[in-house]
Amino acid sequence: MTIQETYKTRAKELLSSGRVKMVVGYKAGSTPDRRRPHFIRTPEEADRLILDSACIANLSGYLITEGLLSDEKSVGIFLKPDGVRSLNILAAESQLNIEQIVVLGFDVNNNEITALKGEKAEDFSTLIESLKEHVPQTPGNPLLERIEAMNAKERFAFWEAEFSRCIKCYACRQACPMCYCRRCIVDCNQPQWVNTSSHTLGNFEWNIVRAFHLSGRCVGCGNCDRACPVNIPLRLINAKMAHEVLGAFDHFAGMSQTQEPVLASFKKDDSETFIL
Amino acid sequence: MAKIGVFICHCGENIGAKIDCNKLAATVGEHPGVAVSVEYKYFCSDPGQESVKKAIRDNNLTGVVVAACSPRMHEATFRKACAEAGLNPYMCEIANIREQCSWVHTDVDMATQKAADITRSMVEKVKRNNKLQPIEVPVTRRALVIGGGIAGIQAALDIANAGQEVVLVEREPSLGGHMAQLSETFPTLDCSQCIMTPRMVEAAQHPKIRLLTYAEIVHVDGYIGNFKVKVKMKARYVDMDSCTGCGDCITKCPQKKIESEFDCSIGMRTAIYTPFAQSVPNKPVIDKANCTYFKNGKCKICMRSCQINAINFDMQDEFIDLEVGAIVVATGFQVQNNAVYGEYGYGKYPDVITGLQFERLASASGPTSGKILRPSDGKEPETIVFIQCAGSRDPSKGVRYCSKICCMYTAKHAMLYAHKVHDGKSHVFYMDIRAAGKGYDEFTRRAIEEDEASYVRGRVSKVWQKMNKLMVRGVDTLLGKPVVIAADMVVLATAMVSQPDAKEFAKTIGIGYDEYGFFNEAHLKLRPVESSTAGIFLAGACQSPKDIPDSVAQASASASKVLALFSKQKLEREPVVASNNESTCAGCWGCVLACPYNAIEKKDILDRSGKVIKRVASVNPGLCQGCGTCVTFCRSNSLDLAGFTEKQIFAEVMGL
Amino acid sequence: MNELFEPEIVAFVCTYCTYAGADLAGTSRLKYAPNVRIIRLPCTGRISPMFILKALQKGADGVLVSGCHPGDCHFTHGNYHARRRWMVFRALLEFMGIPSERVKFSWISAAEGGKFADLMNSVTEDIRKLGPFDQYKELIRETETPATF
Repeated sequence: MTIQETYKTRAKELLSSGRVKMVVGYKAGSTPDRRRPHFIRTPEEADRLILDSACIANLSGYLITEGLLSDEKSVGIFLKPDGVRSLNILAAESQLNIEQIVVLGFDVNNNEITALKGEKAEDFSTLIESLKEHVPQTPGNPLLERIEAMNAKERFAFWEAEFSRCIKCYACRQACPMCYCRRCIVDCNQPQWVNTSSHTLGNFEWNIVRAFHLSGRCVGCGNCDRACPVNIPLRLINAKMAHEVLGAFDHFAGMSQTQEPVLASFKKDDSETFIL
Repeated sequence: MAKIGVFICHCGENIGAKIDCNKLAATVGEHPGVAVSVEYKYFCSDPGQESVKKAIRDNNLTGVVVAACSPRMHEATFRKACAEAGLNPYMCEIANIREQCSWVHTDVDMATQKAADITRSMVEKVKRNNKLQPIEVPVTRRALVIGGGIAGIQAALDIANAGQEVVLVEREPSLGGHMAQLSETFPTLDCSQCIMTPRMVEAAQHPKIRLLTYAEIVHVDGYIGNFKVKVKMKARYVDMDSCTGCGDCITKCPQKKIESEFDCSIGMRTAIYTPFAQSVPNKPVIDKANCTYFKNGKCKICMRSCQINAINFDMQDEFIDLEVGAIVVATGFQVQNNAVYGEYGYGKYPDVITGLQFERLASASGPTSGKILRPSDGKEPETIVFIQCAGSRDPSKGVRYCSKICCMYTAKHAMLYAHKVHDGKSHVFYMDIRAAGKGYDEFTRRAIEEDEASYVRGRVSKVWQKMNKLMVRGVDTLLGKPVVIAADMVVLATAMVSQPDAKEFAKTIGIGYDEYGFFNEAHLKLRPVESSTAGIFLAGACQSPKDIPDSVAQASASASKVLALFSKQKLEREPVVASNNESTCAGCWGCVLACPYNAIEKKDILDRSGKVIKRVASVNPGLCQGCGTCVTFCRSNSLDLAGFTEKQIFAEVMGL
Repeated sequence: MNELFEPEIVAFVCTYCTYAGADLAGTSRLKYAPNVRIIRLPCTGRISPMFILKALQKGADGVLVSGCHPGDCHFTHGNYHARRRWMVFRALLEFMGIPSERVKFSWISAAEGGKFADLMNSVTEDIRKLGPFDQYKELIRETETPATF
């Protein structure tokens, strides 16, 4: 049986036994290589479920849809390891009760899909720990390496060119599981910390603020990157910040549901070589 | 519409010589919203202040900026003047053009330009100031003192003697703490019990003190002036009201071989017991774990021996709710478990004992009636080796700090030994003699010079038994030679450590602690008796190792802090506190973690049927100290800090 | 003749340490460059990264953030939290091409009037050498024209 069929059966079991009220998975998208979220409420609906190497979106953000979990019933969800990490962060930040979530774990590597064992977020902790251990010294992204090799002026010019395309559609925010604020700082106009017009200045500010708010929280799922209609390499900024907090504070986002947020905690011997 | 008055002070020549005040007044006068812009020689003078007040009244000013010296000098002065003119004092801000401008720059043009920027920026801020009111917090004038050792008793007595109510809670069956266990005290060698027990009795009989022994703190809620405390009264199985303390039950109890905690296991007690003869209250408790009846369901001899039927085996733990305005934490210390020093043979050789055990041997009320006798064979030791820093100042044993009291009590032990066993010989291994304190160095010199204690500067590497002797191998670093001493008894000056449950307890009551479990003071130098939580104070060795005089001093200091708090019906605080916009709060609790004062609580928002719709952060203005750390954390900008709001700072920056 | 470039610098400081240190520099009559404008906050914990961005938007060529030394915070932990945020924010700005030479951080206690005066001079000198932050100023100028899509 293929992974898709196995998981289809599993989803049906979960629904028909009443274990979960819904399974969040994938179905066919608008083009053959795209998948869209599938909210499965009945075993019959599970027939349209697709699980293949094109299922790369992190679905965890749907779990905090207003009211979805408030009846205390369980929900099943298809998650890759990055999704499980997001789930841990959402739990650590009290956005959901992780006891209500049944994980259907899988992973996609080099267009190969594999099933992951476990159904609670904590079942994947060994896997996440090994992910942390195996974070490469250099991110291995050619564009990132190119940017890092630039001097400040060139880097500024690079981002200026990228951000000049930003149309402030906030699709990045919409797609990100971590952007769950009821009111985003950008929507706060008294005072208006972030210029809302699509001038490059405001775009700079918006993207800097978003990257700062995601520091130590981004799991690198790439939802923002894929959502961006003007193809700004947003994931690069977040990946860079994830690398920073790992190096500086040994913080790997989403290790567990009890992990302290990196910017709300401190150690007395945190590095401060940059302080005069 | 804002009508801001700007008052530019020359401060004589101090500002006037480097800043063109007329030009400054003219420049700022053109700024939007500025209704009045005037300069004057000395605004802090009486006529100066009067002119500010007059300007406020005449022009119906909505805000005031005084461009003058540092706000640290005269902010209070001008805010008071504004209040007197009917303007909310928090509508007044100071532009610092003296300390941070005229005094530090030489070029008049540039200094004037900078002064204009500073003043305009403040005008922009003050336009967005809010009329704040001082926060009033009602104060329950009753103190809770946790811990009935010398520190707790002292704090309780000081507060009670000033006429305020005190609840004194002790978890053991009797007051007294460690001080009651001691024989004599340094540097005067007066008997510990002789000075301690009258204090215990005084505390127990004081009309303003409610004494709860054999009781533990379960839960603390609330904030300064308004704490709600739940106390567990552990079942004693003896009715406190009817028991007369005759002691018949204790004499009859068949379980007589229980190691006495009070005597540090070198004496025995019964299952129904008082910790020591002078216990306060002098009424026994039943040790459930060792009682024959509780173990086997048969016995009840004590019950039968009690002529007034005070014993009740069905007694249950009870819970008491208290409302108090301040808390003094005086939970004391423990001595380190010497099992960490395997090389010294503690636990293996019965004649290797701790300093506290030696205290019990030397105490007239101890198991040997004050005779120094070996626990193994009851013989008088001819030679005793004292080992100092047995644990302290030894990172490998987990105690990096100096326990502070050991140099002194070891000298005392050597003296007591010399006084009781005239031809006894004592050797003291030490690292440094730390005898700072009134009469302390003289005391250690006396031990060496008059009582002939032989002090050896060096560490002991091993203690082993040979025939009837304990062989102590150490080094005399002054001579540079190894030494071996055949001793009859070895006394370890054990490290003082925090109570084993100190960290848990700190979390229960909401105060900070250090890596060793000692409680953190608000400021090591300037606020040494306050915890970081407003209204909770520290006394004695729960904060750091201390001797009796220091513990008593800190207890009295805590008591004076409590009394200062109780001196008013209501507590008035600066309204510079954070508040939360509950409608935009996402409830991520980063602020709760970031707050240094535990001032942010989780609040349930309920619908009409009482169901929780969402949970949001809620700042307790009684606890908030106004640092603003939470505001900066808040991603949704829901939190804000009065006096330094987001709007104000934004305007300040944009106004530059 | 080329006029000397006078950089505009905004400093965000906590009231208990660095602000008091600045006052001490004043009462000691130390002399330093007049380019820095100080914004007073209760604690470094209150200093949001947004403030730095707004100072740049206002046309600052450099920003200084300063507070109590670790362990000295009046609010016990505010500066520890601030230090983490700065660490992260600094790395972020650097990656965005806003040079770390333009955004500086320091610890200055209430007793360090001399350090404050020296720092004012050295920061002013450093930024003067870097020259005006033209790239950012270009962005600011752009906002004064209508947005185009």
